[in-house]
Amino acid sequence: MTDVILRIRNLRTYFFTRRGIVKAVDGVDFDLGKSECLCLVGESGCGKTVTALSILSLIDSPPGRIVGGEIYYNNLNLLECPPDQIRRIRGKEIAMIFQDAQSALNPVFTIGDQVVEQVKLHLGTTTREAKEKAISLLEEVGIPTPEKVANYYPHQLSGGMRQRAMIAMSLSCDPQILIADEPTTAVDVTVKAQIMDIFNQLKNTRQMSLLFITHELSIVSEIGDRILVMYGGRVAETTTVSELLNNPKHPYTASLIKCLPDITQVRDRLETIPGTVPSLIDPPGGCLFHPRCDKALPICREEKPPPVTITNGHTVFCHLYSRKGEMG
Amino acid sequence: MTNRFKNIKHIARKVGMVKNLAFIAVMALLGVVLLLDIFVVEKIFGLLVYLYIVLGTLFILYGIPSLYASRRLIKYYWQRASRNRLAVGGLAFILFLILLAIIGPLFTTDPTAANFEEKNLPPVGFTLEESVYDIKTGQFTTHRITGTGEHPVGTDDKGRDLLAMIISGAGVSLQVGLFATGIAIALGTLIGVTAAYLGGKMDNILMRFTDIMMTFPFFLLLVFIVFIFGPNLVFIVIVIGLTGWTGTARLIRSESLSLRTREFVMASKALGASDNRIILSHLIPNVISLIIVIATLSIPGVILAEAALSFIGLGDPNVASWGMILRAGQQNLDTTWWVAVAPGVMLFLTVLAFNFLGDGLRDAFDPRSNI
Repeated sequence: MTDVILRIRNLRTYFFTRRGIVKAVDGVDFDLGKSECLCLVGESGCGKTVTALSILSLIDSPPGRIVGGEIYYNNLNLLECPPDQIRRIRGKEIAMIFQDAQSALNPVFTIGDQVVEQVKLHLGTTTREAKEKAISLLEEVGIPTPEKVANYYPHQLSGGMRQRAMIAMSLSCDPQILIADEPTTAVDVTVKAQIMDIFNQLKNTRQMSLLFITHELSIVSEIGDRILVMYGGRVAETTTVSELLNNPKHPYTASLIKCLPDITQVRDRLETIPGTVPSLIDPPGGCLFHPRCDKALPICREEKPPPVTITNGHTVFCHLYSRKGEMG
Repeated sequence: MTNRFKNIKHIARKVGMVKNLAFIAVMALLGVVLLLDIFVVEKIFGLLVYLYIVLGTLFILYGIPSLYASRRLIKYYWQRASRNRLAVGGLAFILFLILLAIIGPLFTTDPTAANFEEKNLPPVGFTLEESVYDIKTGQFTTHRITGTGEHPVGTDDKGRDLLAMIISGAGVSLQVGLFATGIAIALGTLIGVTAAYLGGKMDNILMRFTDIMMTFPFFLLLVFIVFIFGPNLVFIVIVIGLTGWTGTARLIRSESLSLRTREFVMASKALGASDNRIILSHLIPNVISLIIVIATLSIPGVILAEAALSFIGLGDPNVASWGMILRAGQQNLDTTWWVAVAPGVMLFLTVLAFNFLGDGLRDAFDPRSNI
């Protein structure tokens, strides 16, 4: 594998609420390679966003707290960094874009002002240079007439344009890692296709690692190199995108793929996974997926599944493939 | 690109630099004058004049360009606010008052010049019967005094022109309102936004402090401080400012609480903005409309507080504020009623004008109101 730029080990982020401890992220491991695109996939509330926010130490505290684990960015443990250092890394080294660009842009400043502020903040250039850089960034993300759009306020732009402006802002300091938190969820399919084109283009033109959070497998197949499937705050399966789509091992992943509508088959109803996401305050023992799993073994109720390596780079957390599972 | 266009662009780039240079030049000049003022000549300008020159330069160099940049927004809000007739009337009266305070003194006589020949003259169009004791005859003679065009609002018991006093009092009241509100709003905004943004313990500490300040009878404090340090207008303004921020802090906090959870705060954090930066350039600009409304609505309260203080005899005796004139007039309310009525009417109109304008602005800035 290529050089690893972000290494996460046993990350645990809990939220201490009145009703109990929510283990939103409970022991997540993964590596992000240089100029690699890793997709985080999972249902709502499975800890994708919390994982991303934990990387940048943006968990609201209280109630949230990163209770354990290590996050190495180029051999620098981000969890041990003083707040000042983390702040300099945010945006400059690791940038993040959010799901809803409408609310992620400040309504009282023009698009241009917001990009310029970003450039000035991290690169310390003069306003004039920052303006030129801002215009070229807006051009890079495919905004026509960037000089004009720079003078618009967020509410004057369409959803797609806003999302592009948000991407331009996050690219302003040429970050090493870009975290995209469901950037295509709040836009319609046409805009979604355009946004995905921009990401593909950025992947090709910039030497940037991309951590792409989504719940749509169709998007993963379009952009991802590797994929990490999360369930209930834990990793279920991680492998390359083509391997996962053709040879899913974890029952959860397999059912997810089975749920995708297939144009070649005639079906009355779409497939679903029975049951709902488990409560993370009072999670089921053992494997979190066992109440919904049709292949569940007795051991799944008792013990947390260990990582099982199927092939090089394909790891699955499931008793079906472990030795204990075979014996039981 | 043509050569001419290039030149324009070049000049436009330079403007930013020229602005800063101009500001530094004006400030340097002012510094020299101040040094001369202190060490060589006595009293070129009063302290307030320096403050006004600094504020005026700031406004011309930085305020006007940014107002021009957001002219579309200002036009929009003006359209909304101008549908409220009372607000427009209030604004007109306030502008008239400001103009009166600035250029009025150039046309009136000295408000402090006493002239006992012309004491107790009624306003023009009114007559007054006055009994005068004649020493030679030892008898009372009654004669009628009619108001003259020379003193349109009449004179007081020392023969000072009431119109000139009212005009100079307008300046005092407006300045008191402006500076005390400025201090109060600045403090309240900073404390409110900081409490909302930091949350948790800091929020608790700041808000409990606000509660304590709120329950404190500030008028008593004012009386107490004036009693100890003497009646000095600057002192009074500062004390009103330092005690009047509590309501602002509460309002701004509650508005900022909902802003804090908006995604753009998280987004700018994720892109490396510091806490200071988020407070100053993300939260405060988003509550600016609320700040304008609170400021407009709290100016009359401050003006009234100063007037009340003067009325009970704790005002600055060297400054002829409306409250001081009112106090002087109320002792002879049965005969020379105009001395008290004139400043009273002005106070009433001013307070009303600010309240109308504030209400109009509040409706204009509220996106939920359909006006």
